[in-house]
Amino acid sequence: MSKRQLVVFVEIALTLALGVVLGSLKIWQMPQGGSISLGMLPVLVLALRRGPLVGVAAGALGGLLGLIVEPPFIVHPVQFILDYPVAFAAVGLAGLFSASWRSSARTQAWSRGIALAVIPGVATGALLRYAAHVVSGIVYFADYAQGQPVILYSAIYNSYVLVSALLCMGAAILVLPALERVVPSENERS
Amino acid sequence: MKVPVTFGQYVPVDSPVHSLDAKAKMGLVAAFTAALFLVDGPLGMVAAAAVVAAAVVLSRVPWRIALRGIRAVVMILMITLAAHALRWNPATVALVRVGPLAVDAAGLKEGLFFVVRIVLLVVGTSLLTLTTSPVALTDGLERIMRPLARVRFPASEVAMMLTIALRFIPTTAQEAEKLIVAQTARGARFDAGGPIARARAYAPVLVPLFVNLFRRADDLATAMEARCYRGGVGRTRLHESRMRPRDWAVLCLGTLVLALVGITL
Repeated sequence: MSKRQLVVFVEIALTLALGVVLGSLKIWQMPQGGSISLGMLPVLVLALRRGPLVGVAAGALGGLLGLIVEPPFIVHPVQFILDYPVAFAAVGLAGLFSASWRSSARTQAWSRGIALAVIPGVATGALLRYAAHVVSGIVYFADYAQGQPVILYSAIYNSYVLVSALLCMGAAILVLPALERVVPSENERS
Repeated sequence: MKVPVTFGQYVPVDSPVHSLDAKAKMGLVAAFTAALFLVDGPLGMVAAAAVVAAAVVLSRVPWRIALRGIRAVVMILMITLAAHALRWNPATVALVRVGPLAVDAAGLKEGLFFVVRIVLLVVGTSLLTLTTSPVALTDGLERIMRPLARVRFPASEVAMMLTIALRFIPTTAQEAEKLIVAQTARGARFDAGGPIARARAYAPVLVPLFVNLFRRADDLATAMEARCYRGGVGRTRLHESRMRPRDWAVLCLGTLVLALVGITL
């Protein structure tokens, strides 16, 4: 294991810790039980700096850690797979835009980086996570409640993810350029 | 605005369930989940409920804490029950009828079956995290994932990352708390206004948290390298957790009982 790999490895670990802490700061409690927090933000930031592979690994491990730290939400085996590893790993796919972010950061073209990397990256990660939760809801309800408009139920029930995503997008726009100025991702590039 | 200092669900008391090896408990939870989905009659649910109740009593975890997980699924439970029991303008005679809405007896019975299954699933699986310390859990996880190392899955590295994350959760929480207090002293409000105003208040807290994260990662990597950490290959442990004969006995016997319940009832 090289030093660079080790740094990435530790960054993933500390990202998970920050994710748990930010996730516990509930900014807004939704009436139906979901809560809005910035828990996704660390994985999004790491994915945009380090690429999709690191992002997906951090996301999947975050799902695993979430199971240990908070009371798990398990009502069905398929629902469990989709709501934990798959949904959280999907957030890491924000890293698909990391090349674009790094090239913008190199020239300090912040608004270009925000428009071409941060916004599409966060949107991709968050929408894929939302999709995983919605599909998990459909699987669950289709098994228990035949003949109901299951897609609608699931889409509404999971909508809190989208609100969280909007907040994360705003926060990522603030955090990433500031972070890049102090700790550039370029010189420790993976 | 307070940052919770204690994380995790572990209830540190002394009990036979706590002293059982984490790997045995994971196996039992998997067997329990499978049995719960194989059971297809009310009698099987009663047997599964008895197993869960016995485990909770043995574990000396207070009922209030053992049942806490149900709170998160209340909405799902209500929707499940309603979807089964409620009928819109049914042709047949219903149990209770309010206008066009009716409660169907057979549907109600079916709905209750599914509700009980979810409740048992939630309480049964949460017993694992309530009675096993996070470190023991990650150790157990590493041991279970070890065969995957043959297909180049970094099992030991995954366990190491989770252990580092668990260790740094309190440190990061303290740091966040300090930053929030410092910003509050400068007049920031974290608990007033709508979601956007609240999120904006967090900006001066978030930036230093992220800067510290990436700086600390570099320091920690240097410290690990200086101590010759080079991944999982050939790493040994000071405290190796082993399955004792007692753990094997409980695992095999428990799986057998659960399999019987799942297949016959």
